[in-house]
Amino acid sequence: MSSHPRRNPRALAVVLAAQLSASAAWAQQSTPPSTASPPPADAPAPAAPQSPEEAPALSPEEMAEIERALGTDTSTRARPSGDTSPASPTATNDSGTTPLKLPNAISGGTNFLNLSFILDMALAAFSSKEPLQGGGHDPTRNGFNLQQLELSIGSVVDPYFRFDSNIVFSQFGVEIEEAYVTTLDLPANLQVRAGQFLTRFGRINATHPHAWDFVDQPFVMSRYFGAEGNRGLGVEGSWLTPLPWYVEVIGSATDATGEATARSFFGASAERVLSPLDFQLTGAVKQFFPLSDDLSLMWGLSAATGPNDTGYRNHSTIYGTDLYLKFRPITSQSAQQLVLQAEVLYRRRQVPEDVLSDWGGYAQTVWRFSNRWATGLRYEFGSPAKTQEGRIATDPLDPEWISNRQRITAAVTFWPTEFSRLRLQAATDRVGWRESPDYSAFLAFEVVTGAHGAHAF
Amino acid sequence: MRSLRLFAALCAAVVSLTAVPARADLKVVATLPDLAALAKAVGGDKADVTALALPTQDPHFVDAKPNLALALNRADLLIAAGLDLEIGWLPTLQMGARNNRIQTGNPGYLDASRSVSLLEVPAGQVDRSQGDVHPGGNPHYLYDPRQALKVAVAIEARMSQLDAKNAATYKANLGKFTQELQTAQAGWEKRLAGLKGVPVIAYHRTTAYLQDWLGFKTIAFLEPKPGIPPNPSHVAQVLAQGKSSQVKLVLKEDYYPDNIAKLVASKVPAALVTLPGGTDFRTGQTYVQRMDLMVGRLEKGLSGKGE
Repeated sequence: MSSHPRRNPRALAVVLAAQLSASAAWAQQSTPPSTASPPPADAPAPAAPQSPEEAPALSPEEMAEIERALGTDTSTRARPSGDTSPASPTATNDSGTTPLKLPNAISGGTNFLNLSFILDMALAAFSSKEPLQGGGHDPTRNGFNLQQLELSIGSVVDPYFRFDSNIVFSQFGVEIEEAYVTTLDLPANLQVRAGQFLTRFGRINATHPHAWDFVDQPFVMSRYFGAEGNRGLGVEGSWLTPLPWYVEVIGSATDATGEATARSFFGASAERVLSPLDFQLTGAVKQFFPLSDDLSLMWGLSAATGPNDTGYRNHSTIYGTDLYLKFRPITSQSAQQLVLQAEVLYRRRQVPEDVLSDWGGYAQTVWRFSNRWATGLRYEFGSPAKTQEGRIATDPLDPEWISNRQRITAAVTFWPTEFSRLRLQAATDRVGWRESPDYSAFLAFEVVTGAHGAHAF
Repeated sequence: MRSLRLFAALCAAVVSLTAVPARADLKVVATLPDLAALAKAVGGDKADVTALALPTQDPHFVDAKPNLALALNRADLLIAAGLDLEIGWLPTLQMGARNNRIQTGNPGYLDASRSVSLLEVPAGQVDRSQGDVHPGGNPHYLYDPRQALKVAVAIEARMSQLDAKNAATYKANLGKFTQELQTAQAGWEKRLAGLKGVPVIAYHRTTAYLQDWLGFKTIAFLEPKPGIPPNPSHVAQVLAQGKSSQVKLVLKEDYYPDNIAKLVASKVPAALVTLPGGTDFRTGQTYVQRMDLMVGRLEKGLSGKGE
């Protein structure tokens, strides 16, 4: 019963993996000119003549020289990573939405909906029998993992609203991750979103896996918010202030329930909303500073508060700050870019007769050293929960979390084009309450197909 | 009485602080510096023009920085090159700008490609296996002054529609610009008459309109498919084609890498010509000056003196 339904996705995964690497190799190597018979689909592009009689008669030395020159051409243009557009340039949300439609040539004239599919899968190896991977899209077991198949559908509804949704297919079912309406025409620089959405707490929470620089989610996110990141059914308002620099103020009220999405709050418990205090309230301020043409800084402050299920009117509050520093030279020819990103979160929870506090965070740097290659390093930290007196508490959510946990991750990414990605990642997880460090290695593939989403900053 | 006067003074102070100092009538944001230069030529001192991309930047890949959204938030008119050239970054900015005036379809949004005679519009089916093909047609039309003039005409019409009280100024500016451009164009054509029929190699498909204007022949591209970086076997093929067709020029924009273009140019041998990626709008360069610079470089390349 269990083996048969599991085999299919695995087989699919293998085939996909093989095809992906083959196509990547194709993109990298291209075909030798002797076999260059272009596929019929190539016909419409007014391509340069590729007549076979002009086959190159180059010496091996010349070939070597070409390869050397290509190797030194690191300044090929930088491509943005494959994240797609949010409703606001500070939103790192990547709901695959774009107000532009599929060109008629592709959609055959019917272009009301933007559709895109994103497939993420990974081959994983863990040293531990029970790897501590908390994220819902993380690879969690040895062998092939289908991280997600995301279907993004979006469209402008009318002059006043647009609609976006992200539906995620896993091997075990279908989930509506996000489905919301965004206003298009509110006065005074206001914008409202209503529906189910990822809250804009910090930087990484509002993003989907294809916008991540690593295969898995920082553990602080799954520990504080849940496997799927913090999201809920609710309303969000945001305001772009009239200040001379970019300042966006965001506030939302969402249902505080959901085991995978509101872990520090009501979580899976069947609590009901009895008063406005029973909502999760999230607030954030995002500021952007263009330090120069090449260097930009984004700084965010966030807070979320909501009821938890440890007793009547007990609240959890999470504070966070996030920093994103990007160096991408555009004043001179260069493909390099260097990004530093960090988030620190601090959590306080009221529990019967005490207040527990803990903190965690991550800092990462990603260096894109050519247009197709990037490498990244991430450090994560999580402290155990402490009581008001400073003793290590028994955490009702993570009873085993009695000492510090640190994880160091390194990754290398290769993009054949901006629509596909291969990533090799390795990590060591120093879990304080385990006897020895855990190790993991992932080889992840991603393809994005469908409407071209715009890229968030 | 005194308190009233104090109040009045305070009001005056607040008003003078908040009053915008002598602002232009029309706030214009253009995606490309070339479009900004055309908008400035038409708008003159009645328009406050900003360009989102730099000339040193590949217009396909611009970061959707929030400060660009801020510029759009305050804009009356957004001019875009269209044809999906900016699809990777402009939609995010447009949405984030919270400015209904500049949304696609409204009078504050001008798709400049609508006014040009398009080239390389794919006739058949298009998919991404062909690389970064623009299904609506080739978006690099501002290399041809005849197309640029059509864009300027469209900009004039839109500016006059949005800001009717300055319509006469815009019209006069357009007239001046037309004359300047056409005079210059005649000179450029004379200087580059020798380009007719000359075989060249280009890096990306940016040369369609330029060759349509000047009559040279692009026989190969260094990119195997649009947007896909060169690879050794393709470059070898291009090099062989270049040798057998006796290519005279290798063309590439500022923002494309040097080395492979240099190598091919030296092996053929041909002159390497670096085309300006756009008008250096921020330093006050005009569209005519930018074209003049490009024509100069082409002329030098044609006489065998590449870089």
